Amino acid sequence: MVGLAILTFFAILAAIPEVLVGPLQTAVTSIGPRLSPPIDGFPLGTDELGRDIVNLTVHGARISMTIGLLATVVTVAIGVLVGIVSGFVGGRIDAVLMRITDFFLVIPTFVLALILTPIIRDVVGSATTEVFGIRMTLIVIVVVIGITSWSSTARIIRSQTLSIKERAFVDRARVVGAGPGYIMRVHILPNVINLIVANAVLVFAGAVLTETTLSFVGLGDPFQPSWGQLLEAARSVGAPGLGAWWYFVPPGLGIILVVFAFTLFGSALDDLLNPRRGGRR
Amino acid sequence: MGGSFVARRLGQAAITIVAIILINFVLFRLMPGSPERVILRGTPNVTPERIEALRERWGLNDPVFPDQLVAYITSTLTGDLGYSFIARGQTVVDVLAQRIWPTILLFGLGEMVAIALGLALGAYSGWRRGGPIDYLGNSVSLILYSTPYFLLGMGFLLVFASSIKWLPTFGMLTAGRVYGSPFEFLADLGAHLVLPLATVSLGLVGQYAIVMRSSIIETLSEDYVNTARAMGLSEGRILRHHALPNALLPTVTLIAINLGYVIAGAITVEVVFNWPGLGTLTVQALTARDYPVLQGVFLLLSVAVVLANLVADLVYGVLDPRVRT
Repeated sequence: MVGLAILTFFAILAAIPEVLVGPLQTAVTSIGPRLSPPIDGFPLGTDELGRDIVNLTVHGARISMTIGLLATVVTVAIGVLVGIVSGFVGGRIDAVLMRITDFFLVIPTFVLALILTPIIRDVVGSATTEVFGIRMTLIVIVVVIGITSWSSTARIIRSQTLSIKERAFVDRARVVGAGPGYIMRVHILPNVINLIVANAVLVFAGAVLTETTLSFVGLGDPFQPSWGQLLEAARSVGAPGLGAWWYFVPPGLGIILVVFAFTLFGSALDDLLNPRRGGRR
Repeated sequence: MGGSFVARRLGQAAITIVAIILINFVLFRLMPGSPERVILRGTPNVTPERIEALRERWGLNDPVFPDQLVAYITSTLTGDLGYSFIARGQTVVDVLAQRIWPTILLFGLGEMVAIALGLALGAYSGWRRGGPIDYLGNSVSLILYSTPYFLLGMGFLLVFASSIKWLPTFGMLTAGRVYGSPFEFLADLGAHLVLPLATVSLGLVGQYAIVMRSSIIETLSEDYVNTARAMGLSEGRILRHHALPNALLPTVTLIAINLGYVIAGAITVEVVFNWPGLGTLTVQALTARDYPVLQGVFLLLSVAVVLANLVADLVYGVLDPRVRT
């Protein structure tokens, strides 16, 4: 319940930031004093450019959560595709796909994301197109998180596919002449959807953490500051050492609460929906 | 332990390492700009002869596949990772070698503290399931688990740099200080180590406690624990002699498997405290787009994780014959 309340709160922040705090303030439109502690009109103080921290944090909620959501979609899509194909087709394809999956499970994928992001950005170039209101630089982060974190989803979906494949209705579909593509779409996918939802919630928590950390090491976009980007900015002006708690505590708390709530919610769903873990703990 | 089990695990690890090098090769070819520029960026006095020699050695005049790939794998395996841009032409291996010890010091100690504390906390809260310590420990563990490591560090920094000025918060040693004795050196190092170490340990302790807790709970429901209870053994004796050893095994393996995620996230702690290890190096390299160094870090950390996994697998194989299939 606590988890759901926190989620609703942040979902509202992310859905309508303009209504709540007006448009995102920039170096040009900022009106506050520089790096000021909370004062009248700026309940959480300002950053080094005089921007209102409340404004930045609320807009950061939208940016962090949109990236998290998109990255979750990419991650889960790859994971489900690999998992179902691997489990259903079996044989050599299964062996190859699972080798790749194991590889991604073992290596430190965050470090891979760290090096992939700037390279892909250099290759894509400085395109200024926006997708879902997100700048290209951040879309690269979405894609990178997607291609580096799908492996555990693939594992889970594969094992469930293996058991569904043996059920009578799949045999029946095959006997009446359904092709493998049709069976995977119509018979397997709806039966793993519970698992996908539970897994997606946990993936989201991980994606928000990964995005935050990538932004913190300098791969964020200052023009669309996520929470991680705000933390990076706070660190680089030395906010913690100067005692400027108001700069990094609000976005920091946002991250902790969102990840905490999603982890709680995700494990609850997982216990409820994942047949393999039912009854434990 | 069966020889085939060891051989298979060794083979898998070798294949994984080759795949890592393969990824590095693809990334290297993907980078914009000609490869020799990427390798030589930052080296002074680049002459046409030097470029030609380099093209020759890295096989850049040959076709990409298989010649360049073979040349790349060979040079990586012989420890040639190119030259660093930020370090003005020093080899990547030299740069990594300078930065690896602070990281090993910080994370070696941090892991030890976190494992000891996490296992103790997890075992106790799993044993006294539903008790006050369990309730408190579980909530704290989950919150710590949700907190990025660097954020924890920023919190420490806030308290210790601006309010209580007990401890140094920057770097590994006091800059420019001359030490009269080795003890002074150690004291200075120790003082600088306290805050980053506390951050790393605290960041890790939550997840270790969670894993250990569920492991001990699972073990306590096993038949042999019931048998021990039926035999009239005391609860403390059951925990120490029956439940703990069996719960430790999967936990330690999980810790080894998760090492990669942990280290990767935790290197950001170094940035907060300006600890001169691989984490700060990575961020400097990112800022300067020093790809050879970034690839070196990726290779180093990946191989370390693969080896840790290998060791964990083999140790598990020795301790638990059932996995040797």
